[in-house]
Amino acid sequence: MKNKEAEYREIFLAEALENFEAINRLLTQLEKNGQDKNAINALFRITHTLKGNASGMGYSNIAELAHVLEDLFGEMRDGHITVTEEIFSTIFKGVDVLGHLIDAVKEPKEVKFKGIKTKLEVLIKKAKEERENATQTQTENVGVSDLSPFSPDQVNDLAISSSDGAEIPGEADTKLSFSDLVQVPVRKLDNLLNLVGELIIEKDRILASQAGLDMRRSTNEFARLSRISSDLQYSVMDVRLVQVGFLFNKFHRVVRDAASVEKKDVILKLEGTDTEIDRNVLQVISDSLIHLIRNAVGHGIESPADREAAGKPKDGTVWLSAKNDTDAVIIEIRDDGKGLDYDRIKSKAIAKGLLSVEDADKLNEQELSMLIFEPGFSTMDQVTAISGRGVGMDVVKKTLDSIGGTIKVISVKGKGTTLQLTLPSSMAVKSCLLLELQQEVYAIPLSYTESVISLYRSDIHRAGGGLVATHLGKNIAVVFLRDVFAYSNDSLSVTNALQHSFDSIHPETRLEIVVVNFNNRTVGFVVDKLLQQKEIIEKPLMKPVDRIKFISGVTILGTGNVCLVLNIPNLLQFIFNLSSQGRTLKNINLN
Amino acid sequence: MSAIKEAINTTTATNTRTGTFQIIVFKQGDEEYALHIDQIKEVVITPAITRMPQTPSYIKGVANIRGNIIAILDLEEKFNLKRSQGSNTENNYTLVVESDDLKMGILVREVPNTLNIGASDFDESVGIINDVNSDGNYIKGIVKYDKRLIIVIDIFKVIDQEMLGSLKKTGVA
Repeated sequence: MKNKEAEYREIFLAEALENFEAINRLLTQLEKNGQDKNAINALFRITHTLKGNASGMGYSNIAELAHVLEDLFGEMRDGHITVTEEIFSTIFKGVDVLGHLIDAVKEPKEVKFKGIKTKLEVLIKKAKEERENATQTQTENVGVSDLSPFSPDQVNDLAISSSDGAEIPGEADTKLSFSDLVQVPVRKLDNLLNLVGELIIEKDRILASQAGLDMRRSTNEFARLSRISSDLQYSVMDVRLVQVGFLFNKFHRVVRDAASVEKKDVILKLEGTDTEIDRNVLQVISDSLIHLIRNAVGHGIESPADREAAGKPKDGTVWLSAKNDTDAVIIEIRDDGKGLDYDRIKSKAIAKGLLSVEDADKLNEQELSMLIFEPGFSTMDQVTAISGRGVGMDVVKKTLDSIGGTIKVISVKGKGTTLQLTLPSSMAVKSCLLLELQQEVYAIPLSYTESVISLYRSDIHRAGGGLVATHLGKNIAVVFLRDVFAYSNDSLSVTNALQHSFDSIHPETRLEIVVVNFNNRTVGFVVDKLLQQKEIIEKPLMKPVDRIKFISGVTILGTGNVCLVLNIPNLLQFIFNLSSQGRTLKNINLN
Repeated sequence: MSAIKEAINTTTATNTRTGTFQIIVFKQGDEEYALHIDQIKEVVITPAITRMPQTPSYIKGVANIRGNIIAILDLEEKFNLKRSQGSNTENNYTLVVESDDLKMGILVREVPNTLNIGASDFDESVGIINDVNSDGNYIKGIVKYDKRLIIVIDIFKVIDQEMLGSLKKTGVA
């Protein structure tokens, strides 16, 4: 009984959020083009549906507010309200409160809505009074409201029928139509994918156990099993893909709000909205995208006066585009603003102590632009409401790191800035390199591995407190992975801890090295044994070991044993922090 | 689901009132420790354990138990309980404990046994003297049963402290 209710609530929430989003989208559309009859009709219909759903579920506050909004849109539709900027900001505020009320269904909290409701009611009342005045002067005339394209009954019918058909005005379709789409909670999909993951693991286990036995027959038998299970896996992953348009459409409102606060005129253009991406990836990056879009409006686009002085159109444009690229999805945020000010970034970084004057001159533009992702970095001298608080860009970077994405900045002075995010199209399956270290199996995602090399101990040289090798003319810092683990475990500052294993091995030993690269930092990890390349399904770590920094997740091998997936960004950060720590220690000693 | 849980809660409540509850007793070092039966999900033969870096030594690693990957703890090491000689048995069994947001395994050497304990045998107000470093509030009480002394602990309190500790540690690093 209780479950049923929870399920209804879930469905209501999903629909309500969809409605809310549609209202926002239509409103921005309407604000641009006040004569858009279709948009008004759709708004009327959506608020009506929302009202009906909410009162059906007993959420009277949502129903009340939606009712007032519905009335208001009704008046607008009938042409009784001339839309002004002022009215729009009131409506937007009302819609925001509506959003809060919907959120409050999920997590109970108190939302005040009476104030905005009264304000909206006043608008309607005014419109009604005007209409009455009008009808009084022309009494013989039929009520203006009868001229509306829909009678209220027809609208009701439309609201019940599928949402696609209803947008065609005029033709009332009295037949009930069923949608071809099924709404499924993500939770259920996650569960499905987990099960498929276990199926694959189980398949691998059986294959491994059969490997020694009757080879010829079993390989044939299992080929089909392998094919079907991998088909199943990709189908389930495919179900989880959503079009980026779902997220992108929300940004009309974000841009509008940001632009009106900054008193700038900005147009948002969307490209490639039908690109598909894993729903969870989209969820993880949505906050980051909001931040980047706001930054583009706040920092990138100049004020209208500056733009005209620079000979650009008064309205700035922000493009949000997505495209597929083999295994990844590339999302670009491009603006036609003033571009990055490299000199300012340089001086700011020096002022903040992020780098020294000599180092700063050595950096090229690409490296300079990466500085904006350092914590606490912000080039705006003034803090504005929507951007420039100096937090955010580093958080964006961290978020991307966590899902194995990367970010690139391309900027041309005076022409604009492009931020390019490369995201995995699916979070579930990762290609990994399996390796052995002290009898345990670890995995390194292939997205980080650059190459695999094999060197003799004599090829490796001590350099300061670390180790260095030359491979194909490039110098690579070499680290014994086991030393890193040992170092972090006892955390005693042993001198030359990272040379420990190096000292204890025979000069003729052949060493297997995995070269990993992240953020232009390249390190060769010495491992005991390289095993194979494998597609794995990574599972997150569970409490109480969920805070381990070196490990991003786990997977189950064919043997049933657990394999740890190394978190390369964190590992590299740890190693480079070690070396910088060493440097500061030495400085203190010298002083 | 929650209805079932409530039902369980009420039965335990009535049980305490009528005077009995069940504990799972297992040996750690030379002492007998016990957990309330509600905290225990199952007992399995210890699977292969994969060591984890960056963990204190009493976290033995993680293991795959029925498709779930859970952390395996050695309380003997955590509580610093030395085994007396002659008991060379391995940690053959793993006690899987579960709460709403936590699931993990505890290594034990023998199959644990269940005891019905009368409330009168259970002493919650024991003044246990701790040294400053070890926080003793995970001890729920002491049970006297025949001539045995059984220490009843709240396993999730043990872990809460551990997690706070590791938080501090990562804060430093």
